[in-house]
Amino acid sequence: MSLAAVIATLLGVSLTAYALFAGADFGAGILDLLAADRGADRGAIAASIGPVWEANHVWLIFSITILFSAFPVAFSALGTALLAPLTVALVAIVLRSVALGLRGSPATPVRIQVRLSRLFGAASFVAPLAFGAVAGALAEVSSSSNVTASGVPHIPWTGAFALLTGLLAVGLCAQLASTFVALGLVRSQERRLAERFRLRGLQSGVGVLLLGLAAPAVAAISAPTVWHKLVGPALPLLIVGVGAEALSLLTLWRRHYRLARGACLITAAAVMWGWFVSQAPHLIGPRLTIHTAAATHAALVSIAIAGGIVLLLVLPAMYLLFAVFARPELEVTE
Amino acid sequence: MNPLPLAAISHLTAGRSQIGTSLSFHLFFAVLGVGLPLMMLVAEGMHLRTGDPVWRALARRWSKVFAVLFAVGAASGTIISFELGLLFPRFMAYAGGIIGLPFSLEGAAFFIEAIFVGIYLYGWNRLSPRVHWLSGIPIAISAVASAFFIVTANAWMNVPRGFQIVHGRVTHVDPLAAMFNPAWATETSHMVFGAYLATAFGIAAVYAVGMLRGRRDAYHRKAIAVALSMAAILAPLQVAVGDLLGRTVANHQPATLAAIEGVTHTERGAGLNVGGFPLPGHNGDVLNVKVPHLLSLLAFDNPKAPVRGLDTFPKADRTPLAPYVRLAFIGMVGIGTGLVALSLWYWLRRRRGSNGPEDRVTLMAIAAAGPAAFVANELGWLVSELGRQPWIVYGVFRTSSGITTSPGLGATFTAFTLLYVGLTALTLWSVRRIASTPVEGLPTAALGVA
Ligand code: HDD
Ligand code: HEM
Ligand code: HEM
Repeated sequence: MSLAAVIATLLGVSLTAYALFAGADFGAGILDLLAADRGADRGAIAASIGPVWEANHVWLIFSITILFSAFPVAFSALGTALLAPLTVALVAIVLRSVALGLRGSPATPVRIQVRLSRLFGAASFVAPLAFGAVAGALAEVSSSSNVTASGVPHIPWTGAFALLTGLLAVGLCAQLASTFVALGLVRSQERRLAERFRLRGLQSGVGVLLLGLAAPAVAAISAPTVWHKLVGPALPLLIVGVGAEALSLLTLWRRHYRLARGACLITAAAVMWGWFVSQAPHLIGPRLTIHTAAATHAALVSIAIAGGIVLLLVLPAMYLLFAVFARPELEVTE
Repeated sequence: MNPLPLAAISHLTAGRSQIGTSLSFHLFFAVLGVGLPLMMLVAEGMHLRTGDPVWRALARRWSKVFAVLFAVGAASGTIISFELGLLFPRFMAYAGGIIGLPFSLEGAAFFIEAIFVGIYLYGWNRLSPRVHWLSGIPIAISAVASAFFIVTANAWMNVPRGFQIVHGRVTHVDPLAAMFNPAWATETSHMVFGAYLATAFGIAAVYAVGMLRGRRDAYHRKAIAVALSMAAILAPLQVAVGDLLGRTVANHQPATLAAIEGVTHTERGAGLNVGGFPLPGHNGDVLNVKVPHLLSLLAFDNPKAPVRGLDTFPKADRTPLAPYVRLAFIGMVGIGTGLVALSLWYWLRRRRGSNGPEDRVTLMAIAAAGPAAFVANELGWLVSELGRQPWIVYGVFRTSSGITTSPGLGATFTAFTLLYVGLTALTLWSVRRIASTPVEGLPTAALGVA
């Protein structure tokens, strides 16, 4: 495996971590939007996000950093061709995290909290929609033949296939969050409340399953290059994804929440890697691959080392965070 | 007709203004992000040592403010990471592979910081006091580390090293040489001291305002004392490092030096312009006092050394906004001098009495010094960024060659400017709400309020 491929894999891992963890956080925002005025639901959702959000969100920053250090030309092309949808995603992420931060402040009055909640929910919906659409559109043009003068094809992020992948991302986020919240509630013996999130999980799961099954069909009609990959190298991942989704629905139905959450995580990971495989080794358009867009060897070496340091430091620290967060509060001495 | 008021400005100006606005906004939070963790550690550590609940109340209060600022800081930092690619993609295509190392290491620092911020903020009631205090240490360290790494990248933009250009392509990249370019040490330490200094004076200012409003209690006195002890050490250091940074500029960025010091024509044994405001229509001599030979001495350790004037550079390479660079520089140095004077005054007076001066004038000066120290940071960055123009990478890559070819920057600039206005309003409002909730965990006696 070449060094560029190693780093591209690292990028894939980092993006997958973002999709799984931040995906669940986005999903929490979507559920929050659906929870309307039910305070108990809100509380359960908020408790599942807690302090972990900022840390989850760093995976995105890390992915961007790897992308622009290791594949600067591709980063540049992405920024130019996707200025609009990425700006939309960016604004959504910012509004989301600010709304969440301020809403959580004990000093914020209830009336404002309600508005911030709505903003938080809407932004949580828009961000995965935009990211999913961008991913679908990138897969669609990865071996396209009509390239513009700049070497980058027009990227159809508003096309039919992009809409499908955008919605798929939204559905996955919602389902991930439902399983996380439901499991948390069952653990703290709040079974009645958990039922509501089970229902949400089933609803979004059915949506995900339908979209997943529709993907090859829509690709066949409107994105032939993706179709070839989906029935070719990406087929195993498609099968794993659909299978895990079916399992997740089944286990959710039978109230095996742990299994349901695991299966749902596998579905999301399979979708991400299905995307990578459908466009590997292309980063954007047919010309910019992980080899043609790579920085110099010395730069790649330094990034691989820095990436290794990140994993060494971050994984134990992450573990610590989750462990502390899972602890009950001590007696408050004030 | 264009519905967007800012959409009429040129493509390049829109892009520069957008990234400049974003960075200036981020800097405010970054400065507190570097400085507050240290202050929290000090206050919580004092609580562990003395058991005095006032210290714990201070630490808790600051950590609440920090939580809000961290959320906005992270959001605004994310904006910049994207904007580098969205606004200056051709610069990133060029530089990404050279300064990727500090950026990736910064990613590691962010991770550690964000994780421990989670542990610290949610750990007040979940961890023992000692472990909780320990969990604050990685925050303080990684905040400094992230500032360090990002500023080495900026130092590279000022003094680019560690690569060659062959046939228009970047080759022979040496990431370590790029990161440890000749400006790294002075620029990073000036930034980190600047952040600590602004946080210290900022905190002192908040409590000075409280005292001016009649809240003269242990809580306020302790806060001011701890902040001003840090400030007293840092302010002179910052001026000294600033002088070293000035030499770095003198040696590697001659056009920037000329703009900073207001040197229009080359001078041998150049004098230092003290004052010399660059008002339009005056030749940079408003209220000027020229100290003979001092500039040559300060910049090159030689009273006879020549200092190149701006007019010796080809028109295309002259710093286009030189008067503003000069104004920003005068502002920064003026504030720096003022901060040193104020901390000296406070500690000289404090040694006699035990409480430190609490007269109205001193308190008002402290109240003004807080915002001024933040302004000094912003001005310093204007000196650095405007002073580098027309280059995005000094001497090798022009800002105009780095801007995106994608249209619509007028619209994104308008949108982001509105976003920042909204964010600023929301943050200020939220911090004020926190400040106006009563201090918890303290018996009223400790507050000594009448
Ligand atoms: C509290 C903040 C503060 C204070 C009191 C000072 N500075 Fe400063 N200065 C900064 C905060 C700052 C900064 C914001 O941190 C900058 C921007 C870039 C950098 O590395 O530091 C900066 C930049 C900066 C530069 C430009 C470097 C470049 O082009 O990259 C010079 C020459 C100085 N400083 C010199 C001084 C001197 C001689 C001071 C003496 C009074 C001084 N500074 C006080
Ligand atoms: C947080 C403190 C900073 C502030 C307040 C700041 C301010 C600014 C301003 C005002 C501009 C516009 C200059 C002009 O075009 O006339 C600018 C441009 C820019 N800055 Fe900074 N900057 C900061 C730190 C940094 C750092 C640390 C980096 C890089 C690692 C950086 C990278 C850039 C780039 C790439 C541009 C666009 C190109 C250019 O105009 O030179 N800045 N910044
Ligand atoms: C002198 C300039 C800068 C300093 C001192 C600085 C420092 C910091 C600090 C201390 C934080 C932690 C957040 C907080 O506490 O508010 C932060 C966050 C962040 N900064 Fe900056 N920064 C600077 C410039 C930049 C630039 C140029 C970029 C873009 C590449 C950037 C990207 C980020 C990002 C992505 C975050 C969020 C990280 C997280 O989620 O923890 N910063 N910065």
